[in-house]
Amino acid sequence: MERPRNHFTRGRSYKNDEITVYWKPDACIHASYCYRELIEVFDPGRRPWIDLSGSNTERIIEVVNMCPTEALSWKWNEDARNIDVERDQTNHIKFKRPELMSTEKAKDEIRPVSVKIMVDGPVVVKGNFTIRYNGKEKNFTNGIISLCRCGGSNQMPFCDGTHRKIGFEDK
Amino acid sequence: MERNELDENTGTSAIVEIIDNGPIKISGEIMFWDLKRDITDSPSEIYLCRCGKSSNKPYCDSSHKMRL
Repeated sequence: MERPRNHFTRGRSYKNDEITVYWKPDACIHASYCYRELIEVFDPGRRPWIDLSGSNTERIIEVVNMCPTEALSWKWNEDARNIDVERDQTNHIKFKRPELMSTEKAKDEIRPVSVKIMVDGPVVVKGNFTIRYNGKEKNFTNGIISLCRCGGSNQMPFCDGTHRKIGFEDK
Repeated sequence: MERNELDENTGTSAIVEIIDNGPIKISGEIMFWDLKRDITDSPSEIYLCRCGKSSNKPYCDSSHKMRL
């Protein structure tokens, strides 16, 4: 799905004594788990729409973890607690938004962006990057895209497999 | 409760720019592999052919301008 460039500009964070919840509007697909589960905290009709004082930390984490995208993610305010977070905490920033981890090690793990020229095929870009095309802009976190190199794709700028049909040879 | 602004633009390490009727420009922190030619590199900026006509693949050599 494509959206206008200005849609991607900013995100927000909300804190209580224990955790920070990050909101990234461009990632939301309106699955609605957050407000159906916990309208006291996540109320789209209120500004600001997230109010962490509406429930306890444990319940807020539980509901943030239900978000199927990276639109909602969370971390402990006490940095040391973020290191050993288990995989079942699906929306902890370690898994959804690694660029927000404060330790250098965590950041290094996601850099640099990998650019792979496939044999007689597309270029595959993987990591945390921004793509600009047709006046649009989109940020990828731990993302992967495949871009046409043969000139024949019907889904430019992305690869749609046409290189094989036209016998593209990279020489 | 505090509310902080978070700059999304600092979250990415590289920019992939599809130039209209031109190559793919990639700049930033890149680890580059050319699997066909067995090349590994970490350039700060590359221009990759996407018209299929370059004689210096995978790089752009401006052959796209000669298409018509």
